[in-house]
Amino acid sequence: MAIRTVERSPSILPLYLRAAAPMIPGASLLPFIPGRGGEIPAIELRLEGVRSDPERVAAYAKVCGFTLGTHLPPTYPHILAFPLHMAVMADGGFPFGAVGLVHIENTIVQHRPIGPGEELAIAVRPTGLSPHRSGQAFSLITTISAGGEVVWEETSTMLRRGRGSSEAPEPQRLAGAELEGQAGAASWRLPGDLGRRYAAVSGDRNPIHMHALSAKAFGFPRAIVHGMWSKARCLAALQGRLPDAFEAQVRFRAPVLLPSTVRFASAERAGAGGDAGKAGAGGDAERAGAGGAAGKAGAAGEARGAGASGAQIELALLRGGSGGAGGIHLEGRVATLGERARSSYGAAGGARRSQTPAKPKNKTTESGV
Amino acid sequence: MIDSPRRVAIVGGSRIPFARSNSVYSHASNQDMLTTALEGLVERFSLQGQTLGEVAGGAVLKHSRDRDLTRESVLGSRLAPETPAYDVQQACGTGLETTILIANKIALGQIDCGIACGVDTTSDAPLAINEDLRQIFLDLNRERSVQGRARQLLRVRPQHIVPSIPRNAEPRTGLSMGEHCAIMAAEWGISRAEQDELTAASHRNLAAAYERGFNDDLVAPYLGLERDQNLRADSTPEKLSRLAPVFGGPDGTMTAGNSTPLSDGASAVLLASEEWAAERGLPVLAHLIDAQTAAVDHVHKREGLLMAPAYAMPKMLDRLGATLQDFDLYEIHEAFAAQVLCTLAAWEDERFCAERLEREKPLGAIDRARLNINGGSLAAGHPFAATGGRIVAALAKELHERGSGRGLISICAAGGQGVVAALQSAGGAK
Repeated sequence: MAIRTVERSPSILPLYLRAAAPMIPGASLLPFIPGRGGEIPAIELRLEGVRSDPERVAAYAKVCGFTLGTHLPPTYPHILAFPLHMAVMADGGFPFGAVGLVHIENTIVQHRPIGPGEELAIAVRPTGLSPHRSGQAFSLITTISAGGEVVWEETSTMLRRGRGSSEAPEPQRLAGAELEGQAGAASWRLPGDLGRRYAAVSGDRNPIHMHALSAKAFGFPRAIVHGMWSKARCLAALQGRLPDAFEAQVRFRAPVLLPSTVRFASAERAGAGGDAGKAGAGGDAERAGAGGAAGKAGAAGEARGAGASGAQIELALLRGGSGGAGGIHLEGRVATLGERARSSYGAAGGARRSQTPAKPKNKTTESGV
Repeated sequence: MIDSPRRVAIVGGSRIPFARSNSVYSHASNQDMLTTALEGLVERFSLQGQTLGEVAGGAVLKHSRDRDLTRESVLGSRLAPETPAYDVQQACGTGLETTILIANKIALGQIDCGIACGVDTTSDAPLAINEDLRQIFLDLNRERSVQGRARQLLRVRPQHIVPSIPRNAEPRTGLSMGEHCAIMAAEWGISRAEQDELTAASHRNLAAAYERGFNDDLVAPYLGLERDQNLRADSTPEKLSRLAPVFGGPDGTMTAGNSTPLSDGASAVLLASEEWAAERGLPVLAHLIDAQTAAVDHVHKREGLLMAPAYAMPKMLDRLGATLQDFDLYEIHEAFAAQVLCTLAAWEDERFCAERLEREKPLGAIDRARLNINGGSLAAGHPFAATGGRIVAALAKELHERGSGRGLISICAAGGQGVVAALQSAGGAK
């Protein structure tokens, strides 16, 4: 595998241009433009010495509804890794352009909460292509470490629409169908500029999220909300109920057009380690065909299957206001991983959740150090 | 119902470091900080998923959308969502007042445990729309006809874009708290040197407390801040003497050094019955044995705005059958160094004690070596509603470390109010 360590966080705009360039006929003949077809290259991009910028974290937390606490929002590392995601998909060896890919599934494993000042190492690699009912799918596997310890993992699965494979398995439902009819589900009004707001705090300025006109160019009637905003907002709604170590798997089933009103439903299921394991297996099955570079793709999956225990929370983002027109935007589940040792008051300081606060004098930055 | 009040245990406190206004906590809301302070207690005392009797909290500067700030903070924490909560507001007395409210319910057997907390931000301050514009909007809303609505809209003027900004001024006097305190300082003849000496001691004591690890389990880092940002360990009376006066005119004695800065922060204190604490193997640092509030007429009788604690204290002491000197520790909130010194001077003053407090003898002097021994608001900063929790937790811990003794708390508040309380060591350190 070709491992490349990048010196600093890549800037997003040029990557967007490179990722979109394959839309220009013939452009992919150039060696630095993706889109010559074939297999996804076995590459891994690494970025070390990454620290979160407190102001960006605060702005992100506000847009997504997280309380600004002593740790990063559990979805925030995705923002840190996103430039690498783009860089992977803009790589000259990438078989197709990133524009038009659909984010269909996302699994985050948080092994422990991450302190705001922690120095992080990020690694992103793509899996190979696997058959999907509506085309071909691949995943971007992100591993984030602090001091050599893996603290956060993500599997972001993208779909390239095309001729589907009828043999690809129907994915297992992540949340019970009864969530759809749940009385008292929260109702959220999403403003028309939500895509731009999230773009500003995430750096993900995909035109499908920015404006109705730019979204139309890609076949959407109006701008659609970022999938990762939906996931973040759902996890923010579960704040206080989330354990320190958990796996949160969501599937994006239908885009949320902006502006709109959505409903959020969730249900806690009593401890059933077996079920959580099965959930992981279901997710893996979908990626089973991802051979080659996907050799280590099981990393997140292993952590999932092995450690999943205790209670889990099923969640869904549903269409429509109070009328409940039906339809699911997003379904997912959060499974507790392991059982954190209960703190005892006696161990002063040591009883706290592990955290490595930044020294105030250290200027933090989100680019590589 | 119970026949006699129960003893109220102070189990422990947790707060975030206090930051100066418009600094590291600029983007943190009251709810962010209050939730984090609650989480500090949850973490330390394993309260995850537990239903507490009650959480009482508050903020002095509050957005209208934060109507149920404390309840929303509870819902954002890992406490059981079934934990009831309510907001309290008594200016700078809020933090201590919430402690008294929770303690009284525990004493009466109405609840077994609870959290008293407070938060304030002067960075993320509530700006309201211009008052004239607000009236126009309300009138507009009441209009039924298109013509009427158009008429209302025509009242809008460019100057209406200027929002209404909360002011640190007394509504009935128009004077800021600092200006009020400057009048008190002049009345009581408090010298600049005395104020600067008290300020330097505050910084010295807080720095020493951090150095010996006293705050390790009282203060949890937040947004990269580990210690109170205002703390200047190298502060000296000489350095402070070079600052220009900010209140009381060019000859004033009050400076930015010997007055508390605008600050952001939050604190929380866990209180319980002794049984509740014992069942969970939690410590009892101290008992809250009494409390008293008082208010003065700063409007018509021209009593000093911040003199109310001087009135509250003797009432509580009489009830306890104690003298001012019967205590081992004194925590007097340093809103301004001059406020502390005026209060102490008043208690020593025969005429004040005879005429205003109607006592035969003055309360007398205290041993200054027992005053704010782990630092005060001048060093730590003073996020209004968070100060009470900071003091209660620190005093309880100090009493626990000593294994015996009693301590007094005195906090002055806007509106001519004051809150005092007495704590007693639960005995047996560690």
